[in-house]
Amino acid sequence: MASDSDPFRESLETIPLADIDSADECFRITTRNDLDDLCASISKLGLLNPPRVLPGASGFVIVSGFRRVAACRRRGWDRLRVGVLPSDASPYHCACRAVGDNSTQRPLNAIEVGRSLRLLERCAADGKVPPDDAVALGLPSNPGVAAKLMDLCRLPAAVQHGVVEGWIPLAMALELGRMEPALAIDLAEIFRELRIGLNKQREMVSLITEIAHRETTPARRVLEEPQLAGVLHAADLDRRQKAHQLRKLLRQRRFPALQAAEHHFQTLRQKLKLGENIQLTPPQDFEGIGMTLSMVIESLEDIGRLRDKLDELANHPVLERILDGKRSLFVPACADGLDEQAAP
Amino acid sequence: MMITDVYVDAHAANEIETEVICSRLGLPPKIVARADEVYTALAAAEDPIRRGKRVLYLTRNKGAFLKQCPGTRHYMCCGYRILHIGSFCTMDCSYCILQSYFHPPVLQFFVNHADMFQELDQALIQPVIQRIGTGEFTDSLIWEAWTDLSSRLVRRFAGQDFGALELKTKTTAVEALKRLPHNRRTILAWSLNTDRVIRSEERGTASLAARLEAAAGCAAHGYPLAFHFDPIVIDDGCETEYERVVEQLFSIVDARHIAWISLGTLRFMPDLKPILQRRFPGSKTVYAEFVTGRDGKMRYFKPLRMRLYRALAAAIRRQAPGVCVYLCMEDDEVWQDALGFRPAERGGIKLMLDEAAVRHCGLNPEGLRAT
Repeated sequence: MASDSDPFRESLETIPLADIDSADECFRITTRNDLDDLCASISKLGLLNPPRVLPGASGFVIVSGFRRVAACRRRGWDRLRVGVLPSDASPYHCACRAVGDNSTQRPLNAIEVGRSLRLLERCAADGKVPPDDAVALGLPSNPGVAAKLMDLCRLPAAVQHGVVEGWIPLAMALELGRMEPALAIDLAEIFRELRIGLNKQREMVSLITEIAHRETTPARRVLEEPQLAGVLHAADLDRRQKAHQLRKLLRQRRFPALQAAEHHFQTLRQKLKLGENIQLTPPQDFEGIGMTLSMVIESLEDIGRLRDKLDELANHPVLERILDGKRSLFVPACADGLDEQAAP
Repeated sequence: MMITDVYVDAHAANEIETEVICSRLGLPPKIVARADEVYTALAAAEDPIRRGKRVLYLTRNKGAFLKQCPGTRHYMCCGYRILHIGSFCTMDCSYCILQSYFHPPVLQFFVNHADMFQELDQALIQPVIQRIGTGEFTDSLIWEAWTDLSSRLVRRFAGQDFGALELKTKTTAVEALKRLPHNRRTILAWSLNTDRVIRSEERGTASLAARLEAAAGCAAHGYPLAFHFDPIVIDDGCETEYERVVEQLFSIVDARHIAWISLGTLRFMPDLKPILQRRFPGSKTVYAEFVTGRDGKMRYFKPLRMRLYRALAAAIRRQAPGVCVYLCMEDDEVWQDALGFRPAERGGIKLMLDEAAVRHCGLNPEGLRAT
């Protein structure tokens, strides 16, 4: 990194905008492309900080200030005051300038941190960024964290966009990075649409990939199934409803027998007409043996009413069927299909 | 799977058994002061679990050789006792819990046999029926090429009247055992599965036909037998396939030689799932309908287990109505559904199996009273 004496002192020059090669994004850190706020600021206050450029074979390469250059172009400027780095400045020093100009001005998002680390690594003489340099530039020095953040830059643009915009958490982005790009893009699109949190995203990804594994089918094909696609594209459902229905459908596909049993249990329980003050709860996933019958009382009269209800339940054939056990009540659906389970 | 390296605990270097094993393997022993040195060497491998199946670590057992089967909460255990001869396995079953049970897993064999036999002597002197097996933390017979331990154990059990030794395996390494004076005190047991599961999930194990042939050969030499349908892997069409295995079993083995048959569906601690997914990406076993059991282990959704148990138990009873069939780690509800009774009605699983051991192994029935 540049020392305190800074042998690569830049010179301030005014150059034609046409001489700046904006297509070369080698040093680009920012993920932002919008220019409206910057144009407004330049219009009002002028260009406060000159962009930094490096003389190249075919014009000047931008080291920092991509948006500023673009904003000035939009405003119709033809010349621009810039800081010109010496032509013999090393790529690593230029990279440090590019990162520092961004990281010391504003907090970087995860993609920008990843880009910064990758740029520095690419330009470092031995491919390794000295930890002190990383710290000085406000970047993480932990190798594990740095590697993960650098991986983000290899993700499809749709996933990176999701990370920047905050609807894809870092952990999920890394998970998407391990998938084939087309699937990752599809999932990123779903998460953009649903705006669900990490736990629900993980649940969905797990359900989809496990269904695909079990059925030896591409995960994208699971997403294309008519029922799922229908929910995703339903115009009459809001985000929460879509998320709820999608997870329900996926759980039915992943755990058909369990879901059918839950449905069947609920159907039978409704026939008991328990009312508000009595609840009948099955064991978790029907694994335990006993059911829980709970009652709420507010007065002694309630006890009398509940006693009558209990007497009625004691002779109720549906309760007998429920208590008869998993054999008669919860016929596995894996071989028989889901629909059969709906009938009591 | 071939052993490529032998590490020897410095404290076990002078044991006779160490000398015997190293000599039979023909590999130079690497003496280590601490087990950590072995673990470090393993951890550097691309697949430490696979590597751990090729690295043998000979050491002393500093704890008890005889342990109660760990069992698990809320589900009923048969009261089996484990003779802890070593751990891990040279075969490579995708679902093997030993992959996540030891950290890191390494093929470890205890060579302080004098201590082991002393402890065993003290246990067998008790006038109480005991079923003792070596196949809990390892396969009982993978060690046959390098050690005579099984033969020594068979001889030791032959000379007493209260304990039955169960050697449980997926191999056919029984030749050395056939010539022994076993006095019916040793039960040779095989884990059984469908051909499809054996081919896809039980790498390096003997085929079903080979296991059954080995069992029939042992029966011909007078050994009582046991069979364990464990783990039963539930998927489409599995009922018919398991029923065929039952038919195949009884077409080769006379039911009168069978001390017991156990049934147990696949179950595993959640830690195993990512290991299995990483090491066996083609395996579909973990993508079935598993729920979290009351002991924290992943188990098939209960009605699915019940249906499979019912079918399998019925198939066994059609062929051999008198054979003792039990469920491994299930609750009363499943027992009642699959077998038509709850263990408590017959004195508990332990007593059921102890009585079977008395009948088939000729143990002293007085030992039942003390149970």
